[in-house]
Amino acid sequence: MKTTRAAILLLAAAFLMIAYPSRLSAETAARWSVQVSRVNAGTTSLTPSFQAAIYENLLEELSKTKRLRHVLRDGDQEATDVADLLVLTTTVEKYSAGSETLRAATTVAGWTKLTVHTQLSTRDGKVVFERTLSGNVRFFGSNLRATHNLARNIAKAVKKSPLVNPALPALATVTNSSTSDEVAVVEFR
Amino acid sequence: MNRTAVAWDCRPSECSLKRRPLAALVILLLLFVTPGVAQAVAGQTTSTSVVRATHLLGFAGARNKAKGILSIDGDALRFQRSGTPSVQVQISSIQDVVLGNQSRQVGGIPLTLAKAAIPYSGGRAVSLFSHKKYDTLTLEYVDAEGGFHGAIFELKKGQAEALRHELVAKGARVINTENTEANRGGRE
Repeated sequence: MKTTRAAILLLAAAFLMIAYPSRLSAETAARWSVQVSRVNAGTTSLTPSFQAAIYENLLEELSKTKRLRHVLRDGDQEATDVADLLVLTTTVEKYSAGSETLRAATTVAGWTKLTVHTQLSTRDGKVVFERTLSGNVRFFGSNLRATHNLARNIAKAVKKSPLVNPALPALATVTNSSTSDEVAVVEFR
Repeated sequence: MNRTAVAWDCRPSECSLKRRPLAALVILLLLFVTPGVAQAVAGQTTSTSVVRATHLLGFAGARNKAKGILSIDGDALRFQRSGTPSVQVQISSIQDVVLGNQSRQVGGIPLTLAKAAIPYSGGRAVSLFSHKKYDTLTLEYVDAEGGFHGAIFELKKGQAEALRHELVAKGARVINTENTEANRGGRE
């Protein structure tokens, strides 16, 4: 009898998770705050203006998602008081400096390409989101527009990702390996 | 020594200036014009702290892609867009100033459409000439809460260097004195 009741509850929970995944992820993500770190140029020859532009565009685009409680700057003292804080680090993997004139003259050359590795991690270093994303300018627009496109792509990916609820650990598995019907093993991640 | 003695009380017929009225006129003109030129030069040196600039992004409180006046006022760097209140940061809070240069197409959407309308891809040839070079000034500074900002301004070619010198003289920090984007191996 108790096993049946537990099974019904689990089925109901599973149904809710399938039916309203976006709402649940939005609610959990809204509890997080993000601190955006300065952009690491890595081994590329990315210019400081591009680093600054990626950083500033990230702050703007992440704020637009409205899924995060606070979007904080690197070094902001307010971050010490924020409970559920994620740190966004961005490392440039590939960068090819384009040319607006070359794009306008040839169409097939002079593209500005940026590829970065970005990750969201908690204060204790646990990575909750990791992705390699890119932002390019192929036809129209200035070279700096690549940074805007990149930041928008990162913000979109963060928005879609089901960030783990910071307050409650996510339910990973529920098994009943015990011989007794009274015991169920519940694992969290 | 080959010296020719000339009497100080020369007679009118012997005085060289009076014999050469044109030379006298030139000397007189130089005497009057030189202070004016000096003032103009002095004006140029002071006017470098006030430049027309386009704020691309990052300067707290200013709209992106806003045109205005970038000026050094005391110990603050100020950006003023016409018709709006100015925004400023303390020069001492600037951690780095980096210069760069870019080239961009002029004419905006109207010229882009016009180029597209030229037959036999003639617009591409026009694109080779319809571009303009300008300087970029990237400022890295911290706000009152310690938050890091990266601001980018677009200036007329040649103006950014002078502005950076003034910022450094007023207390802005620069990581590398030869800190230009070209020196860092990057080209925009």
